[in-house]
Amino acid sequence: MRLFFICLICGLVLLIAGPGFAEDVDHGGDIHFKQPVVGVLFSHTLHVEELGLECDSCHEGLFAYEAGTAEAKDDFTMKSLAEGNYCGACHDGSTAFSSETRCAVCHEGVKGYKRALGLINAPEHDRK
Amino acid sequence: MTQRTIVNGMTLNELESLLVDRIKSCSNSYYLALLICALIMLAGSAAGLMATVGGHHIYYNVSRELTWGVLISTYIYFVVTSTGLCLVSSIGHIFGVESFVPLAKRAVFLAIVTLCAGFFVISAEIKVPIRMMLYNIISPNLTSNIWWMGTLYGVALMVMILEFAFLYLRKYRLAVVCGFIAVIGEVAANSNLAGVFGLLNGRDFWHGAYLPIFFIASAVMTGAAVLIFFHVLAYRLRGESMNETMAKAMNACCKVAILGICIVSFFTVWRMVALLAGEPGGAYLGAMALIRGPYAVNFWVFEIGLALVLPLILFICSRGTDLRLMFVGSALMIVGLFFMRYNMVIVGQAVPVYYSLGVNEARGLIEYFPSYLEILVTLGGFGLTGCLFLLGEKIFDGHKVDSHHH
Amino acid sequence: MTALKFDNLKNEGIENLPDRQRRNFLKLGFAITGVFAGGTILAVTSSVRRSFASSGDFLAQYPYKPHYGMLIRQDRCIDCERCKQACAKTNHVPAYGYRTDILERVRPDAEGQQREFIPVLCNHCNLPQCVRVCPTRATYKDRRNGIVMMNPKKCIGCLTCQMACPYNARYFNEEKMAVDKCDFCWEARLDRGGKLTACAAACPAQARIFGDLSRDDDPVHRVVHQIGRTVWVLRPEAGTKPNVFYTRG
Repeated sequence: MRLFFICLICGLVLLIAGPGFAEDVDHGGDIHFKQPVVGVLFSHTLHVEELGLECDSCHEGLFAYEAGTAEAKDDFTMKSLAEGNYCGACHDGSTAFSSETRCAVCHEGVKGYKRALGLINAPEHDRK
Repeated sequence: MTQRTIVNGMTLNELESLLVDRIKSCSNSYYLALLICALIMLAGSAAGLMATVGGHHIYYNVSRELTWGVLISTYIYFVVTSTGLCLVSSIGHIFGVESFVPLAKRAVFLAIVTLCAGFFVISAEIKVPIRMMLYNIISPNLTSNIWWMGTLYGVALMVMILEFAFLYLRKYRLAVVCGFIAVIGEVAANSNLAGVFGLLNGRDFWHGAYLPIFFIASAVMTGAAVLIFFHVLAYRLRGESMNETMAKAMNACCKVAILGICIVSFFTVWRMVALLAGEPGGAYLGAMALIRGPYAVNFWVFEIGLALVLPLILFICSRGTDLRLMFVGSALMIVGLFFMRYNMVIVGQAVPVYYSLGVNEARGLIEYFPSYLEILVTLGGFGLTGCLFLLGEKIFDGHKVDSHHH
Repeated sequence: MTALKFDNLKNEGIENLPDRQRRNFLKLGFAITGVFAGGTILAVTSSVRRSFASSGDFLAQYPYKPHYGMLIRQDRCIDCERCKQACAKTNHVPAYGYRTDILERVRPDAEGQQREFIPVLCNHCNLPQCVRVCPTRATYKDRRNGIVMMNPKKCIGCLTCQMACPYNARYFNEEKMAVDKCDFCWEARLDRGGKLTACAAACPAQARIFGDLSRDDDPVHRVVHQIGRTVWVLRPEAGTKPNVFYTRG
């Protein structure tokens, strides 16, 4: 009897929390690329929530759903982006700023990458 | 009077037995103090040796950005004290102001001792001291303040040892010549030491011509305070009371100390105003670190309180006669001045060189606190000073002054 | 080269640089520059003009032949740190030290781009404070090429040069028992026939251009000598007349 109730409560909790939990993983969160150079941040939060892009804007035409797929390819380069592939499909200078400008908007660098991995502190706490 | 003819016509054996007698004829508290000082000195030596052999980067808390730590500030503390002692004593036995004459021997001795303590501390900070011995001589750089500083202090040490010897051999003319050279050497060395910091265009907190002047002024104040401290201590140690000439000398010292404090206070006020007015770059950050930042206690309590304000009040209240007040005042100064040097050296570097660039890596002050080994070496310098002072008092029998000095 | 001749030079702009993105950068340039520049550019512009405008006395400021220098195209740095890795590998720089570094500046209120990476290295100054303060001449300005060199045998480890350097370009190398610093890869590459420093060769974005300022057909020389272009140096107030220049676009 007690076991039944525990199961029931757990089930209810899952039922209620489930959708909420699912909403959080509605998109891929932050993707930190490290190939071909270390430290490029793609923020799903920015592109999906703030800019209102749909999943199928990029998936699976430009990027596979599975993270790391694009990185594994040889043509995942700035040259390729300039030719309109990957990020360059939108970042062409008209839809969004060109991938040939504002380098450090997306390139967070080794510093940003390490911060994302929690290897170094956020800059505000570096030194007092 | 026979005792003071030790160097004149005594055999080595007689000399030895005399010295042994003098060392033996001491109270238990003297031996205890000597033992403690010797142990601290040994601990400091061991710490310095350990760090030099094992690697400073392991044992010291200094970093690439904050390169010079407490050992450099302690070195400065000692050598500026030496300059001060040399300067104040020269008033008497070089420039012939009668009331300072009784201080000569002990002052020269203490100047040698504090310079040795300075060299002791810095030898644990120079990373490759062996190369220093060679290349300082065969590859000198005449535009380098630190080369002049090191060389001149080295020369001054030699000359002061000669001067001290001549004082005991009663070759006063030679002693005066040596003393004169020593004063010039010490003052030049001291101002070059200030130049090491003051001529660095890239360090706003130090840069400027005022530093050498400030160093000389604070050397005078330090010298006077240290003379008062050690003379009162020496007389207490020997259980004697000061005679009239010595009391007069203490009075004169007190006046010099008051004058020195006034000059240094004037400089300190105007320096802080200069660092605050118009908020000049990194210098402002440094000034604020002193005024209400992590160095506020160091600044207000030690640098302002113990080194300047309290001693000034005590010295004035003593009217140059109340030895107890003067002793307390000079003791406070000796503590406070240590922090004055520390603040100057550390805060000047704590402002990152790229601060004005506004980058994350250089947002605020670089942190530093001495490691245990650094503190031990620092204490070792004080141990060495104490040790040599105590030994000197006995070996040279209280640095008694000849009546026919001039 | 004379001053007159220099004035007659055609302003070829940044077209000389192998750079496809220049126009976009320029378009963006002013909007960002105004915000990003903050005090730094404004503070240096006058001094740059004074030292590097096309006046006669300026030409005398390249006393070496070659006179090595570097141009940092600051907005192109992405902090991939390949330069740092290449430098460490080429010059055997230990993990606790570095000869070159990348700094990060963030301006949250800036338009378009809020982050900027700033590569830093020894500026091989014409008036190097480190050389002036070294007691044993262990660090010196090489008369052949203007590189600020180290002779580790003479270094006593007093670290005064580290204190004097306004660019944090020096560190103590425990293996060499001497201060170590960037030598524009003289020992590892240039002296062995190499043409580029390791960092410049490794940079995927050509953010670092290495060159010889004494030659008027040199890319660094050309960029530095454009009146219309904002070129600056770091910490000009330190007065060391550096040979590493910064620009955007």
